[in-house]
Amino acid sequence: MFNIFNLQKNYGKTEVLKNITLRIDDGEAVCIIGPSGSGKSTFLRCLNLLEVPTGGRIFYNGSLLDQELDSKRLRREVGMVFQKFNLFPMFTVLKNIMYAPVHINKMKYKDAEELARSLLEKVGLANRADAYPSMLSGGQQQRVAIARALAMQPKMLLFDEPTSALDPELVGEVLQVMKTLRSDGMSMVVVTHEMGFARDVSDRVVFMDKGYIVEEGKPQQIFNSPQQERTQQFLNRIILGREVVQNEYNLSAAPL
Amino acid sequence: MNTTLAQLHFEQTAQILVPSLVHGAGLVIETTLIGFLLAAIFGILLAVGRLFAWRPLRAILYSFLELIRGTPLLVQLVYIYYVVPLLLNLLASMLGYKTDVQISPISAGIIGLAVNYGCYMSEVIRAGILSIDDGQTEAALCLGFGRFEALFRIIMPQALRSIIPSLGNYLVMMIKDTSLLAYVAVNELLLRTQTFASQTFFTIEAYTYLAIAYLILSIPLSHCVKLVEYKLSTTRR
Repeated sequence: MFNIFNLQKNYGKTEVLKNITLRIDDGEAVCIIGPSGSGKSTFLRCLNLLEVPTGGRIFYNGSLLDQELDSKRLRREVGMVFQKFNLFPMFTVLKNIMYAPVHINKMKYKDAEELARSLLEKVGLANRADAYPSMLSGGQQQRVAIARALAMQPKMLLFDEPTSALDPELVGEVLQVMKTLRSDGMSMVVVTHEMGFARDVSDRVVFMDKGYIVEEGKPQQIFNSPQQERTQQFLNRIILGREVVQNEYNLSAAPL
Repeated sequence: MNTTLAQLHFEQTAQILVPSLVHGAGLVIETTLIGFLLAAIFGILLAVGRLFAWRPLRAILYSFLELIRGTPLLVQLVYIYYVVPLLLNLLASMLGYKTDVQISPISAGIIGLAVNYGCYMSEVIRAGILSIDDGQTEAALCLGFGRFEALFRIIMPQALRSIIPSLGNYLVMMIKDTSLLAYVAVNELLLRTQTFASQTFFTIEAYTYLAIAYLILSIPLSHCVKLVEYKLSTTRR
């Protein structure tokens, strides 16, 4: 789906991404891990042109981004879920989900409402359709944000640290929804600090540091026998502390 | 003291001046409504231009803003009414045409108010737009909306909540500033009062009625603005 060659991104003299080359296939779930400031989010935001790359090429289904493909069309096919949810505060949950299908896909109001309600069902929030975002917990808001992205029937979803702004006890419900999506075959690229999720759900894990891809491979390979010293360091520091907590919360997460 | 007060002619003044002021008030309200509407449109365009336009254009808009904010409204009105037509005629004659462009007092007044207030209002609108989290724009873009759709569908409705009360205050200020239009020969309240006072020498009476007339116009209006502000602050986001 995405074919990325020598992607670079500078802010003035600060190089955030240096020669990223990566291929992401249709139907794949790729997790991007790495320390803060390693360029993970910037990389993700380059994929739907929220950030404009300063060098290199990205091909989406064979078309060069920025030239042959206009960003509006790209973004209708590649949805995004944000760390801070970014729901529209003046709309109800239902309207948040229906808004883009009605105004962009020109879907009939009734059909859009039906679609929105079925998506709410899917994320386990069928009874909160008429609530405003400010009345929901973080986990619920993020599930609505996922439903909103799904309403455009994207071919792929980008997740930018979807659980980083959540209270620990709310992380499980969001990850559960993402797992369900994954088992439905949704392609996804997930920037995350949830190592348990990366290990269990993804097809491939990419480890980034200081703007480079240090290592990529199957989850077992990255987590069990990382080749690079930097990857080992990172995993030792992060995973030991986190994994215990992570497993606990996965167990206690409410079923959908 | 009684004899002094008895020398004043409030009743006579009321009989002649008040109907005239009522007429003038219609004009004031009309001028304010049109002027405010144009100012709001101009303010939005200026704010959006200053935020998103091509860089050199932004610089030009900013210079214009400085020009307007750095000169008094009264001077601007006089300039639009007396100088701009002359400049246009001069320009035309340099190009070999003979013209006699004139601008009616009321149009000059409305243009002056709209441009001046538009500039101040654009800063309020700009700040309102900037106060909305970038994530809102990004979310809209990621759903497939364009930049301007995101601005007008998602950002503006949220920004208006903080913008509207300030704009309301500008509306109240504008209705009082219409008095400056007397200097470009618009027959509004001040000019009517001046004319009356200079003919009758009932100076105290005339200008007292004038002040009361402005109070009658502005106090209910400012209470409406307060009410709107209150409604906006108590309704749920």
